[in-house]
Amino acid sequence: MATKRKAAKKTQRAPKRQASKRGASPTTTAHRAVAITADARRPPKERTAAAAAAPLAVCESEDDFQAMLKVLRDGQAPVKVRLAALQAIQAASFSVLAFEGCRGDYIATLRQVAEDPDPELRQRVLGMLMREKDGFAQKKLLEGLHDPDKALLPPEKALQLLGNDVHADTYEVARAIARKPPNEAARREALRLLGADATAAPLFEKLLLDKDELREIRQIAASALYALQPDRMQKHARDILLDKSDYDDIKATSLSALTQLGDETLSDDKALMKSVDRFSTGKTTARYKQTARRFLSKYGR
Amino acid sequence: MTELQFAALVDGIAADAQRRDGLLDLLREEHAVYRDRSATAIARMRGWVLLALERGGVSDAALAFVLEELDTGTDPYLVAAAARALRSYPRPGATLVPFVLGALANIRYRDEPLSFAAYGHYAVSATGTSAVRELLATLAWLGRHAKGAVPQLEALHEPGGLPPKLRGDVRRALQAIRDAGQGAEEAGAVSCCGAQAPPPKCCGSAAGIDSVLLEDHAGDRIGFEAFFGGQPSIVAFFYTRCDNPLKCSLTIAKLARVQQGLAAERVADRIRTAAITYDPAFDLAPRLRAYGQDRGVRMDAGHRLFRAVSGNDAVRDHFGLGVNYVGSLVNRHRIELHILDAQARIAASFERLRWDEREVVAKAVEVLRIGGR
Repeated sequence: MATKRKAAKKTQRAPKRQASKRGASPTTTAHRAVAITADARRPPKERTAAAAAAPLAVCESEDDFQAMLKVLRDGQAPVKVRLAALQAIQAASFSVLAFEGCRGDYIATLRQVAEDPDPELRQRVLGMLMREKDGFAQKKLLEGLHDPDKALLPPEKALQLLGNDVHADTYEVARAIARKPPNEAARREALRLLGADATAAPLFEKLLLDKDELREIRQIAASALYALQPDRMQKHARDILLDKSDYDDIKATSLSALTQLGDETLSDDKALMKSVDRFSTGKTTARYKQTARRFLSKYGR
Repeated sequence: MTELQFAALVDGIAADAQRRDGLLDLLREEHAVYRDRSATAIARMRGWVLLALERGGVSDAALAFVLEELDTGTDPYLVAAAARALRSYPRPGATLVPFVLGALANIRYRDEPLSFAAYGHYAVSATGTSAVRELLATLAWLGRHAKGAVPQLEALHEPGGLPPKLRGDVRRALQAIRDAGQGAEEAGAVSCCGAQAPPPKCCGSAAGIDSVLLEDHAGDRIGFEAFFGGQPSIVAFFYTRCDNPLKCSLTIAKLARVQQGLAAERVADRIRTAAITYDPAFDLAPRLRAYGQDRGVRMDAGHRLFRAVSGNDAVRDHFGLGVNYVGSLVNRHRIELHILDAQARIAASFERLRWDEREVVAKAVEVLRIGGR
């Protein structure tokens, strides 16, 4: 058994080591890595390691690339191997110019795998497609939000991925989910998505001022209000900073609003200055202290 | 109306020669049918209209819509549909070639497999067509008119050009161009840029524009008439969340060059410039300022970036803007720049296709001179 493991280990490292020893070209290294990844007789661990070691040149040979796509599509292959193949292909896709000839098959295969029975694979693939603002993926995710029986992903994940395209028609469904969320995570993601909807400012103002609301929700509300209607955020920022019981992250967002939008009259606000001073030296993170120092350097006397 | 109902409507109009002009109406960005649709839904819908145009043959009036997509389109489905539609235009000419080559350069790194089999279909196999393939087929269709494109096509056929699997399409295009022979190269060609969309339903005199209140990049407020009255001006439209680099970002960068052109003509203090956002609720003064600064725009009392704090609908009506929205966010818009005379009336418009900075400066100077007589 031990000898077997040793041998497997040796093979796992093979693509990289052989490349460096013999000065093999990236294409040759890729070919070896793909051959191991695609070999169903080899142990999944070995195949996964080979896929992880595959260089970006995986797209340089049509045969290698097709073999890698076949692994990704292969419902009989272990999911770990398929995920490793997906990662190798994704890494190659970052090299936009070199990937040009592979892009068509890549997008088509991702669309095929988007409805795979494995939830992790589905999620990863839909994430990649949504980063491309793919209409197919967008349509599937929206269908799932409107009809949970068709959902390929949980609503919170679908909302998060749809957020990659600000021009997707998601605000209405996000508002519905924020009103009647299936779970807290979905509510959070719906609110994050609405953070780009200019008409949602009153909702965020209400959430920010509700001290019984969850801290994370109030922080999302503070950031969204600051982005959508900074003057409204500025209006509430002073009260939040003076409230000793309020959370540091919400205070930090309030401080940013005041630092950006305030005027010189802030310098005369002794209570505010004292509160910010306390915040800058108190038990908070270095990042928040820096935010306070920025404010003080602008308005402090 | 559902998307499938829309597709059926388009098919119905396309099948009836008497009603076919109605397809152009459906290509207007401001059409109610596009309200509250995602940008990808609009791509499906407009693509279907372009494919319907192909069935009946693209008219001169429709050509601007087709060329617009080739000029600034970044959605492979729309670009491919435009390329197909162009092949039904009855008068191919050399003036169309730069649009096809430009589209090829714009789309090649974002190309994807496409299906035209039915409305809303997405390809799950790369064996069919794609935007690049449709554009190459269009160059082949242009035949002798595309003779000038041969060097570019030859370069695309070399290593470092298009991927090997597309080289067959390149070869076919080259062959078609060469086989078409010399002939009368320009026979039947029209000037592409003279092709204009039918005039907008409104513009230039809508009531209510006097009540529009604008806020500029510095947060200062001014009435529409107060800024645009008294001397000619150039006004472009944009929004900061636009994700098409060939539209808003380029428009504002080019507006900066127009400003330089006005300065070179020594009329920068006699012709105002403005850019008004389509997205006034989101594009607050700091965003406008940063967007202008990043693109080298001169911003002062006579040259401003604006959002309408009240009367945005009146602005849309006044200029007949080609824009639509999903919620409060723009989902589709055309390129539009207008030159206003000293009475804030529209004296000239540059729409859909990318405009030339020198042409805009020259036209604005002409408007200034006419007004000074």
